[in-house]
Amino acid sequence: MAEIRLEQVRKAYGGVVAVHGVDLTIRDGEFVVFLGPSGCGKSTTLRMIAGLEEVTSGTIRIGARDVTELEPKDRNIAMVFQNYALYPHKTIYDNLAFGLRMRKMDPAEIDVRVQKAARMLGLEDYLARKPKQLSGGQMQRVALGRALVREPDVFLLDEPLSNLDAKLRVRMREEIARLHQDVGTSMVYVTHDQVEAMTLANRIVIMRDGHVQQIGAPLEVYDRPANLFVAGFIGSPEMNLIEGRVENGLFVAGSLRVALPAGTQASGDVALGIRPEHLALTSEADGVAFTVRVIEQLGAQTLCVGEAGGERLRILVDRVDSWSPGQSIGVRFPAAKLHLFAKSSGQRIETAKP
Amino acid sequence: MSSKTTIYGFLFVGLAVTLALIVAPAVYAVSLSFYQMDSFVGAPKWVGFANYVAVLQAPEFWHALLNGAIYALGSIVFQVALGIGFALVLNEAFPGRNLVRGLSILPYLLPTVVVILTFKWMVDGGIGIVTKAVEAMGLPPINWFESPGAAMASTILVSVWMWTPFVTTCFLAALQTVPQSLYEAARVDGTTAVQRFFHITLPMLKPILTVVVLLRAIWMFNKFDVIWLLTRGGPVGATENLAILSYRHAFNLFDIGGGAAIATISFALLSVAVLIYFWVFPLEDD
Ligand SMILES: Nc1ncnc2c1ncn2[C@@H]1O[C@H](COP(=O)(O)OP(=O)(O)OP(=O)(O)O)[C@@H](O)[C@H]1O
Ligand SMILES: [Mg+2]
Repeated sequence: MAEIRLEQVRKAYGGVVAVHGVDLTIRDGEFVVFLGPSGCGKSTTLRMIAGLEEVTSGTIRIGARDVTELEPKDRNIAMVFQNYALYPHKTIYDNLAFGLRMRKMDPAEIDVRVQKAARMLGLEDYLARKPKQLSGGQMQRVALGRALVREPDVFLLDEPLSNLDAKLRVRMREEIARLHQDVGTSMVYVTHDQVEAMTLANRIVIMRDGHVQQIGAPLEVYDRPANLFVAGFIGSPEMNLIEGRVENGLFVAGSLRVALPAGTQASGDVALGIRPEHLALTSEADGVAFTVRVIEQLGAQTLCVGEAGGERLRILVDRVDSWSPGQSIGVRFPAAKLHLFAKSSGQRIETAKP
Repeated sequence: MSSKTTIYGFLFVGLAVTLALIVAPAVYAVSLSFYQMDSFVGAPKWVGFANYVAVLQAPEFWHALLNGAIYALGSIVFQVALGIGFALVLNEAFPGRNLVRGLSILPYLLPTVVVILTFKWMVDGGIGIVTKAVEAMGLPPINWFESPGAAMASTILVSVWMWTPFVTTCFLAALQTVPQSLYEAARVDGTTAVQRFFHITLPMLKPILTVVVLLRAIWMFNKFDVIWLLTRGGPVGATENLAILSYRHAFNLFDIGGGAAIATISFALLSVAVLIYFWVFPLEDD
C-alpha cells in the first residue's frame, strides 16, 4: 500500500516525444484511469510506472522509495496486459504461482495465496488447465489473479478488457470494481473507453498527444471540462460545440442568440458548449426554433440531430414518438448547463454561477 | 469436370509419380539386397539373407554405425546450440541487423562442393589462411585429416559450419512469434534473463526444436557428400558411416547386394529411431 508520485515524467523516442512532463500523485488505494485517444501516451506512462520503459527525465516514487531506476521486479507492482500474456505452456496454477516462486516464497504460503485468488475469481475448476483451454474472460481473470497473488503496492492495467466482447466487458468491469473494493490496493488503469473510465475511476487523467489535459473525478470532468478537447471527448453523445462571439452578455452565432449566465466575464470569439441531454424542450415561442433532421430512437431516449439558427445541434430527451424530419420544435439552453471556451486557447472560461 | 473428379485426377497423378520415382526404386533397392551381384549388367543370383548375415558379421559395419551416430550427434548438438545462440543475438535490435541476418544464411546457400573446397583451401598445409594464422601464433600445425579423431572433428566442424545457418533461421523465425508481453510479464514476475530463457524462450521453441533436431538427425545420419568430399571415410575408416560403407560395397568392392543390404538396414534403423523419437517427443503440444 503506497502513494505513487510522478514528477515531471517525460519520455522521448529519439526526437519523438511520447509523454511531456506528467505530474501526478496517485493516493493510496485510489483507482486512477488514464483516458485518451490512441497514441496519446497512456500506455507509455503506465509502462514507465511499471519500469518496462525507461523515463527520459523525471522521477517516479512509490511510497517513500524513488523507483525511477529500478527494475520492474523491484518496484512491487503487478501488471495486467491487454493480451493477458499468460505463460502458454504453464498450467493456470503455475501461471498464478510463478511470480511468487521467482521470489522464493514458501510453497505453503504460495498455495494459500493461489487458492484464495482462484476462489475470488471463480477459477478453482481451471487450475490444472493450460491457458488456451480457457475462454477470453477466464484468461482475463487469470491475468488479474496473477497480479492479485502478488499483493503488490499497485496494480497496473493496460486496456485489460479491450479483447473481450461488449457483454463480457461490462461484467469484467464490474468484477474489477468489486476487486478494487475488496483489496483496496491502488490501481492505475489505461483505457480509451470513456464509459469504463467514468464507471471505474476515482479520478480520471485525460491525455492527448502526450500532454495531460485534465485530472479530476469523473463527474467533475463531466461537469466542468477544462478545455475543448475534454469537452468533446467526455460524454456520449458528444457535447454540442458552437463557435461564435460574446456580445453584451449574449452568445451570438449566425442568427442564434443564447443568453449567458448574468455576470459572465467573457468577450470576443468563444465556443459555446452544451450537452445534448441538457438541451430542454419548450414551446417554439419560448425558445429557439430547432428543425428536426435525423431521429434516432434509443429506446428510453430519443436522440435528434437538427439545426437551430443555422447551427447543427444534437438533443437527447426522454422518448418522443411524434417527431418527423423537417418538423420545427422549440429548445431552450439552460444557463446553468452552458460551457464557454476561449476560441484561441480552447481553455474553459468560467461562467458565473447563476 | 466436377471438383471430385479433379481431386481424384490430381491424387492419381501424385500417386503415380510417387510410385514411379520413390516407391519403385526403393523396392528395387531392397530387392537387390537379396541377390549376389557384382555389377548392374551381370546376372543376379538369389542368396536370401546371406548378404545381411555377411554385412552384420563384419566389424566395419558396427564401426560405421558408431561413426555415423557420433557424427550425427556431434553435428546436431553444435548446430542446435550455436543456432539458438545466433538466433538470440540476431533477434536483438542492433544497427545493420537485417544485413547480418541476410549474410548469416550464406553458407547454407553455397553448394557443398564449394564449401568443402573452400575449407580444404583454408587449411591447406602450404598456403591455407588458417595454417598461416596458426603458424603466426607460434602454435604447432594442426593435422586436420591425418589422425582419426581430427578427421571426425573436421567433418563435424564443416557440417556445423554449413548447416548452423539453417538452424539459426528456423529458431529466429520461431523467436519472432514469441509475444514480447510474455517477457514483460516475466520481468514483472521477478525473473532474471536466464530464467526467462528457460521459462519462456525454450518452451516456446520446443515445437520447432523437435522438428529441427529430427530433420537434422535424418540428414546427418544419411550424410554422404560432405564426408566423401572431405575424407572419403578415412583415415582407415575413421569417418566412414553407413552411407559411405554402402557406396563402397556397391561400387568399389563390386558387392551390390551387400551395399543394398547396408542401405536397407540403415533405412530400417532410422525408421525405428524416428518412431521412437515421435513417441518420446510428440509433436502436438501438451
Ligand atoms: N518504441 C517506440 N518508438 C517510437 N515511438 C513510440 C514507441 N512506443 C510508442 N511510441 C509513440 O509514443 C506515442 C504514445 O504511445 P502509447 O503506446 O503510449 O499510446 P497509447 O495512448 O497507449 O495508445 P493506444 O490507445 O493506441 O494504446 C505514440 O505516438 C507512439 O507512436
Ligand atoms: Mg496503449
